[in-house]
Amino acid sequence: MNKNVIRSVTMVSVFFCLLWLVGLGWAVAEYYAGKPDKIPEKTVIEKKAEKKEGMHIVALGDSLTRGTGDETGKGYVGVLMDEIKEKSKQEVRLTNLGISGQVSDQLKEQIQQTEVKRQIQTADMVLVTMGGNDLFRGGQGLLEFNPEDITEIEKNFLENMNFIFQQIRTSNPNANVFCIGLYNPFIDLDDGKELSKVVRHWNYQSAELSATFPKIVFVPTFDLFELKVNDYLYTDKFHPNTKGYRLIAERVASLLTW
Amino acid sequence: MNKLVQNEMMKLIAKKRLIVIAIIISILVAMFTYAQYKEVERQREKLGTDDWRTMIQQTIIDQQNRISSSRISDEWKKQLQIALQQNQYYLDHDINPSEPGAPTFMRIFLENSIELFIPLMVMVIASDIVSSEHSQGSIKLLLTRPVKRWKVLLSKYISLTFAISLIVAIAGILSYGISGLVFGYQGWGAPVLTGFSVNDAGLNTASVKLIDQWQFLLMDFGLVWFVAIVVGTLSFMLSVLIRSTAAGMGVMLAALISGAILSNMVSSWESAKYFFMVNLKLTNYMNGNPPPIEGMTLSFSMLVLLVWWAIGLFVSFFVFTKKDVY
Repeated sequence: MNKNVIRSVTMVSVFFCLLWLVGLGWAVAEYYAGKPDKIPEKTVIEKKAEKKEGMHIVALGDSLTRGTGDETGKGYVGVLMDEIKEKSKQEVRLTNLGISGQVSDQLKEQIQQTEVKRQIQTADMVLVTMGGNDLFRGGQGLLEFNPEDITEIEKNFLENMNFIFQQIRTSNPNANVFCIGLYNPFIDLDDGKELSKVVRHWNYQSAELSATFPKIVFVPTFDLFELKVNDYLYTDKFHPNTKGYRLIAERVASLLTW
Repeated sequence: MNKLVQNEMMKLIAKKRLIVIAIIISILVAMFTYAQYKEVERQREKLGTDDWRTMIQQTIIDQQNRISSSRISDEWKKQLQIALQQNQYYLDHDINPSEPGAPTFMRIFLENSIELFIPLMVMVIASDIVSSEHSQGSIKLLLTRPVKRWKVLLSKYISLTFAISLIVAIAGILSYGISGLVFGYQGWGAPVLTGFSVNDAGLNTASVKLIDQWQFLLMDFGLVWFVAIVVGTLSFMLSVLIRSTAAGMGVMLAALISGAILSNMVSSWESAKYFFMVNLKLTNYMNGNPPPIEGMTLSFSMLVLLVWWAIGLFVSFFVFTKKDVY
């Protein structure tokens, strides 16, 4: 064994040994004594995200946007996207920002995020499902069915939606926005009829609100689920199943123009 | 003393273990690089863009959805919440948490190998450094020289320290060299955030600092080295205590693996935080991942490791100088 090899390996080891010691010392010092930096938050969108070939869809909303209940996992957004791809023969890029259980208060927060704004800015089409969790609160709303409460909730919801639509329009004045209406998953239950009335009123108000903005289209789904609701609902009796999502997607698809 | 260390270094190099370790590391790094490359590719295909902001936004949405699901445990929910807040923080401040490039790969590799992989490599060298002298019978030759026993052991320990430093360096150099072929060698100056801390309310961003990636890497290396030294010392102790190399390795291996498992489930068993093996993930304190047990801090973990290190060293020397060799 060459002595020089051993010596040089030893030297290299000693060097690294010292280097790592320095690193260790620095890590401890930085962890305890380092001064926090003021890091500026980015609120302005300096650069518009580059516009790519094809179509960009942004989906906002709750579990319906997510596709909860669909065994294929697509949801109405996925089905709709497939359909557009097939018909328009162009690339479609989807940004799904839906969050299960989201209520309009949360969407209002979400839509003000810089990155979300930037996504909407480049969108050719925006899909929104909102309100289901506001109104039904996961089925809880059914038990304590109280007209006064509902008026209150509805008012809050409409205010939020007004804000959300304004935000979308400010970020992107050109994209078509489709606001998907509510259906009544509890229509077959005892209180179903009364709840239907609430849902219809809710939808009517949403449609009125949508109409005050250019290119925001309210898409009714109430009638789709009116007869044989259970055929189109998932086993949780709240979310649509694969067939139900297909119905919604087809309805939106029929509104599209090229 | 100098001669003794030289002698030990010669034995180490002659055994060619370091080369074996280098080969193992390079194969693994090549695999990870490929996996990472595939992952990036898949994401790009899925989202139709390679804008990191879009990718993080999508990760945030996924995390939010998982949090809102009622089927996950509170523990897991909290961890997700912290990861989410961190991602949001990066996004809000327009800093890419994983700037593409070899230095970033190196950072991720180090952070993921600190608790198991690097210790295992260290074990390969440390666990037979004394016991092999027994099995080869050369211990008698060594101890019949007119040198004090503690000096013999110390020279072995020093050469082990050198070897560990080399292993850490090899891991760094190889992961940089190999991943750079795919991701490019740039990114030393990329901004990295450190100083996140975790408290009851979630992620605390009050003391966040912005540093260059190379600084962060050097700190990571220091922590990895520290962990490797502690694990190496404990293997060294076992090598003194147990004559059979295989048995010594088995004990150490069991300890390391139990640490990896325990870290995932000890959150309610608080006294487990005094085990050395749940304290190995020191890099978590730098990048703001929550520790396995609430209330653990960098100084706590380092202190625990230091105590284990001291015990290991003491026992090694005590036993080696006292025991009968036949």
